[in-house]
Amino acid sequence: MDANPQSTPMLRHILEEFDQCADLIFRSFPEIRTDIVYFPSIVDQKLFTDEILAPFAQVQLDEVEQLFQQSQFTRVTESKTVIEGILAGSAAIFHEKDIYLLNIYGPKTRDVQQSETETIISGPHDAFVESAITNISLIRQRIKSSHLKIKEYSVGEITKTSVYVLYIKDIANMKYVEELEKRIKRIEIDAINDGGMLTQFLEDSPNSVFPQFLTTERPDVAVSKLAAGRIITLIDNSPTALAAPSAFFEFFSSPDDYYERWALGTALRLLRYLALLITISFTAFYVSVTTYHYEMIPEALLRTLAESRNRVPFPPVYEALLMETMIELLREAGARLPTKIGQTIGIVGGIVIGQAAVQAGLTSNVLIIAVASSAIASFVIPSYMMSASIRLVRFGIIILAGIWGNIGIAMGVTLIVTHISSLTSLGSSYLTPVAPMVLGDWKDVFIRAPFTFLTRRPSQSQSPNPLRQIKRK
Amino acid sequence: MYKRLSAVLLLLLVLLLTGCNSDERILEKLGMVQTASYDLAENDRLKTVYSVPVIDPESSERRQLLKAVTDSLKEARVLLSKQIDLRLVSGQLRTVLFGLNLAKEGLGDHIDTLLRDPSIALGVQVAIVDGEAGELLSKSFKSNKDTGTFVNHLLEKESSSNIIPPTTLYAFTRDYHDDGIDPIVPIVKDQGDRAGISGIAFFQDGRFVMKIPSKDGIIFALLRGDIKQGELSINLGERNGRKVRVMFSSMLNKRKVSVQHLGDNRFKFIIADSIQGSVLEYTGHEDLSQSKKRHELERDVAEYIRGKAQEMVKKLQQNNVDSIGIGQYVRNSLTYKAWKSLDWSKVYPGVEVECRIKVTIKDYGKYM
Repeated sequence: MDANPQSTPMLRHILEEFDQCADLIFRSFPEIRTDIVYFPSIVDQKLFTDEILAPFAQVQLDEVEQLFQQSQFTRVTESKTVIEGILAGSAAIFHEKDIYLLNIYGPKTRDVQQSETETIISGPHDAFVESAITNISLIRQRIKSSHLKIKEYSVGEITKTSVYVLYIKDIANMKYVEELEKRIKRIEIDAINDGGMLTQFLEDSPNSVFPQFLTTERPDVAVSKLAAGRIITLIDNSPTALAAPSAFFEFFSSPDDYYERWALGTALRLLRYLALLITISFTAFYVSVTTYHYEMIPEALLRTLAESRNRVPFPPVYEALLMETMIELLREAGARLPTKIGQTIGIVGGIVIGQAAVQAGLTSNVLIIAVASSAIASFVIPSYMMSASIRLVRFGIIILAGIWGNIGIAMGVTLIVTHISSLTSLGSSYLTPVAPMVLGDWKDVFIRAPFTFLTRRPSQSQSPNPLRQIKRK
Repeated sequence: MYKRLSAVLLLLLVLLLTGCNSDERILEKLGMVQTASYDLAENDRLKTVYSVPVIDPESSERRQLLKAVTDSLKEARVLLSKQIDLRLVSGQLRTVLFGLNLAKEGLGDHIDTLLRDPSIALGVQVAIVDGEAGELLSKSFKSNKDTGTFVNHLLEKESSSNIIPPTTLYAFTRDYHDDGIDPIVPIVKDQGDRAGISGIAFFQDGRFVMKIPSKDGIIFALLRGDIKQGELSINLGERNGRKVRVMFSSMLNKRKVSVQHLGDNRFKFIIADSIQGSVLEYTGHEDLSQSKKRHELERDVAEYIRGKAQEMVKKLQQNNVDSIGIGQYVRNSLTYKAWKSLDWSKVYPGVEVECRIKVTIKDYGKYM
């Protein structure tokens, strides 16, 4: 890879900089006194042939200058720009004293596939992939408007990861865009690997259990958020898009709600809030009732409950924590293993815990029902981040229920509500539209009203253009 | 930083509180009294029987009985808890049975003791046993081994169909303390192979005064207030050589009471009942699809009910128990001062009560 003796000092400097980068290619075309430097690993091979190899083979020495006048060749002078260009997938072309960059970026990417974490029944099935350019194309395909603006930032001292901020001009509030921009620029770290990681640098309260930026893998969700006046942040090499500002209740809506008929959408939404209630309190309620509030048990249930507890050697709170931990172990093991083995683990684990543990007298079967239903209920929550947070919080409530019974549950829920109401997302209240109360927004939060009623964008996005449809007369 | 650390430490300290928690009532370690019975023993002492469910699924017994003779209600609990390896609690109490002799002595104090315990629900059923309450509770009937639970279900079912009035601890104390109404309680009796409801007991000042048989319960319910459900079997005697029986069902009653002040502490009451219902059984000849014949039957039924009701009111007046609560109507029509100066229990036996019954047959079956 040694430079020929006639090479410019600039070329020599560049080659020194990339010393010991085995994948760098340096090619010379002596007839036209041109040298090329590029990384074949990140360039598109076809583009390289069409744009460089073919014209260079035909061109005569005196025509070269003319060739470089074409617009795809960018003339640069700074060595730093050249290095950055090469790293970003350009070929650097050295001709006599001039240097040109030609962008032929084309890395290997995964094809657009179905979403694994946010599956829906009806509606578009494509999901974001790792390449941000592909992801942007998925959004551009859906929003054919010049108002869709995309700002690019580079984050990470070493990785120089591209972060894109997407918003629709005149619909998104620029206040939020500026705030997000400020936070992105503030990040100083060597590497950022995923959107989930980026969130923690952008959120208002990174130490809170609850996610304040909605994360999604679905382009249709991203588009609906953009249309609602929210801002989408994409990060290169991650299929996770971040939507902000987000409210707590947004995590409980699924795109399905809008693709189904409104009555069904409403029913599903109510079902999810019921699931939230079950996840948070069912096991805790079992603990508090069997430990403290025997008076609350209906007569018909008394014997069943007492009989099932009869052989259990631990107090209810330890029994419940044991089973909850078991379920979490199962879930985690299932998530880490390949799908087929994961299923086996699920079945074996389910049978072992569900049957054998009860028969051995380690737990009561009523608790198994409580634990299983609260685990199932937790998976009903569409956002994986939110569902994980709530599952974690549940442990705290179970412990509180074991200490103080129903008062403990009330205390735990109070703590959660107080905490949530203190959270903000990009400076806007996380508990909108409950606190501050915006009754007009409730029809798209607790229920999914018919589209004729959903005429305004959510108040949280403070859109300068809040009307989203003209009411039909 | 110190602030956070101390907050975490505080939280950990709070967890230690579990260790010295005496409020714990772990389900399987509790002896939950489901039915309690109290009888009068010698020397004014109290004979107590508790029925506690046996939780062990391998045991053939469904309940265990704890018995003691003590001076007071709560002393019994202290004594009885020494007979059982479980912690005796009264939060699951469903039924309280009192023996007839104890009821004659007066239940006021005992009801008061029950109310004082916050873990005892106000929805507990209160009943009188014709005979010894403890004996009935201890007896195991063939059809239902757990007599306490059986009686509880029996009372709940019957009071929901208005054959007996709802008689919870709450209703009893409300009527006991209220002016112008006296409490009532159902009577349960050992009927050989099963326990059954034999009637309604009437109380004055917490003391048992009189009773009526359970078949008259619906008449009393019609006098006492509005009902939404009820059945009445009526024997209209012989008509044209045929026994006429009517089963009047799905009864809906609206009661109106009006008071007339006749002066000089004399009152006249008009209890107007407007009853709707359907005829489920009719053994007479008449064709009920003719409205004329139907109205005749309506009048007959109304007359039958009116006669029964007048009879019952008279009996109540003779025993000086105002369980219908007409005293409340007098009270509401008087100033507080006038009511206080009125000795209702003296006036009540002499007041004039007129029952006006209107019966409407909504439907009479589909046959013919």
